[in-house]
Amino acid sequence: MGELGRIHQLLVSIGDYRLAINLEVVVMTWIVIFALVVFGLATSRRRSLLPAPIQVLGEILVSQLYGLTEDALGADLARKYAPLVTALFLFLLVSNWLGIIPHLEEPTKDLNTPLALGLMGFVIAHWAGIRSKGFKAYILEYFQPIFFMLPLNLIGEFAKIVSISFRLFGNIMGGSIIILVVSYLSWNIILPPLLNAFFGLFVGTIQAFVFTMLTVVYIAVQVK
Amino acid sequence: MQWNPETIVAVAAYTGAGICMGFGAVGAAIGEGYTAAQANHAVSRNTDLSGDIFKNMLVGQAVAESASIFALVIAILLMFLNFQGAPLIKAAALLGAGLCMGLGALGSGIGSGLPGGQACFGIARQPAVTGRLTTNMLIGSAVCQTPAIFAMVVALLLIFIDFSRLPLQPGWAALIGAGLSTGLAAIGSGYGGGVAAGASCEGVARQPLAVGPLTTTMLVGQAVAQTPAIFGLLVSFILLFRGIPASESLAPAMALLSAGLCTGLGGIGPGIGNGQVAGGAVRWVARNSAIAGDLMRVMLVGQAVSQSTAIYAMVVSLVLIFVV
Repeated sequence: MGELGRIHQLLVSIGDYRLAINLEVVVMTWIVIFALVVFGLATSRRRSLLPAPIQVLGEILVSQLYGLTEDALGADLARKYAPLVTALFLFLLVSNWLGIIPHLEEPTKDLNTPLALGLMGFVIAHWAGIRSKGFKAYILEYFQPIFFMLPLNLIGEFAKIVSISFRLFGNIMGGSIIILVVSYLSWNIILPPLLNAFFGLFVGTIQAFVFTMLTVVYIAVQVK
Repeated sequence: MQWNPETIVAVAAYTGAGICMGFGAVGAAIGEGYTAAQANHAVSRNTDLSGDIFKNMLVGQAVAESASIFALVIAILLMFLNFQGAPLIKAAALLGAGLCMGLGALGSGIGSGLPGGQACFGIARQPAVTGRLTTNMLIGSAVCQTPAIFAMVVALLLIFIDFSRLPLQPGWAALIGAGLSTGLAAIGSGYGGGVAAGASCEGVARQPLAVGPLTTTMLVGQAVAQTPAIFGLLVSFILLFRGIPASESLAPAMALLSAGLCTGLGGIGPGIGNGQVAGGAVRWVARNSAIAGDLMRVMLVGQAVSQSTAIYAMVVSLVLIFVV
């Protein structure tokens, strides 16, 4: 059980600051990116009117996610944000699934990955809000319904980053801890594949979808 | 038997783990049971769709389980992390972490089962909008877990921060109080958010075209219903990070402990009440979406008034921390 909570770090000193780079996460993230690039090329290189199975898979993914974005944001904004939404979902999906391969780990198991993606969604949502409403109307939103609600509204906005990133982190981290502990207690007999199927494939897919949809909904709430 | 600091820290860690997972298992189980009960009702009403309803039930239950998965993470960290050589004050922090996450998972667990149940029932009623119902269920149920996530953040801080510079005498009360504040306050907000999300799924089944205003009203209502949990989080942070002078008397310690209890208990009622206000508003947006703006305004004012009791509790807590 000693491996619980152990992280391989690369420490880089720049002046007085010390950068800590979690090496495993960086390597795993690159594996995910590589897998996605290969998938993207495979689905779109040989396009034809009579699609090959892999092209159908890609088309289904893109059209489903496009439809979901259109439902939440409307036809105009969907053209702009659907690529982001599709990319975010595919990245999270492959990240959450990566843990089922032995010796590989989910990059989302490290809080830094969900936190970075949550911050990204936050900045995009607020930028979209300022773009569509104008700066003055955007600022006035924080004084709704009464002016002294300002601090609470501000905390509420920042709480969104905390909740969206810790939800993904907690679920993926929880799944991998459960797999580790139960596999250890059952001498790796029978149970690990079933646990991997539930926590890796099922919960991983749902949490990737929830993260993506919440990012879209946060954009939609700001734009309206 | 010898009561050296190491033993006491280990005892606190194991007690905390037990409390954490014990309480954490309650809420999610009730919520998932509600989802399954509604799914049974839905299948009996529309037997042709039993496959879709079953799938939706499983997805809803998997999301509702999150709260107890968070409790499990904290419990396992408490059991297996190595706290050897930790100062005596760590015992209070670990017990506080267990209390915080265990209590914090209660409300969100029950609450996040409600949208699952309503979505299953909605599929039986309006099969054409199955996709929208599932999406709405996932968003609502995920957002009503936010209070449980606050509890997990506080529990992780309590486990991983080094408190060795905090004086033991009032310090132990501040740490347990920090855990109780967020943990208790999360109960009401978590359940309240679930009521709003359940009403939203019911509304989508009733009026699929109003899915936009329904989701917006639900999210705003849930955000306001989460305010008591945010009060709890604020008091926890103040208790955790405010430097406290050492003192031999018991009075300051009790003041800090009851500051946490006050905001925590005071947040339960407003959280549930605010959720009911939001649920009512969402239900009527589905019936008359033309006046969604008016409904939202009435909802916000009603919630602000029902929240005043949580504000009284927080004022008393702040007085207990800073003045007494």
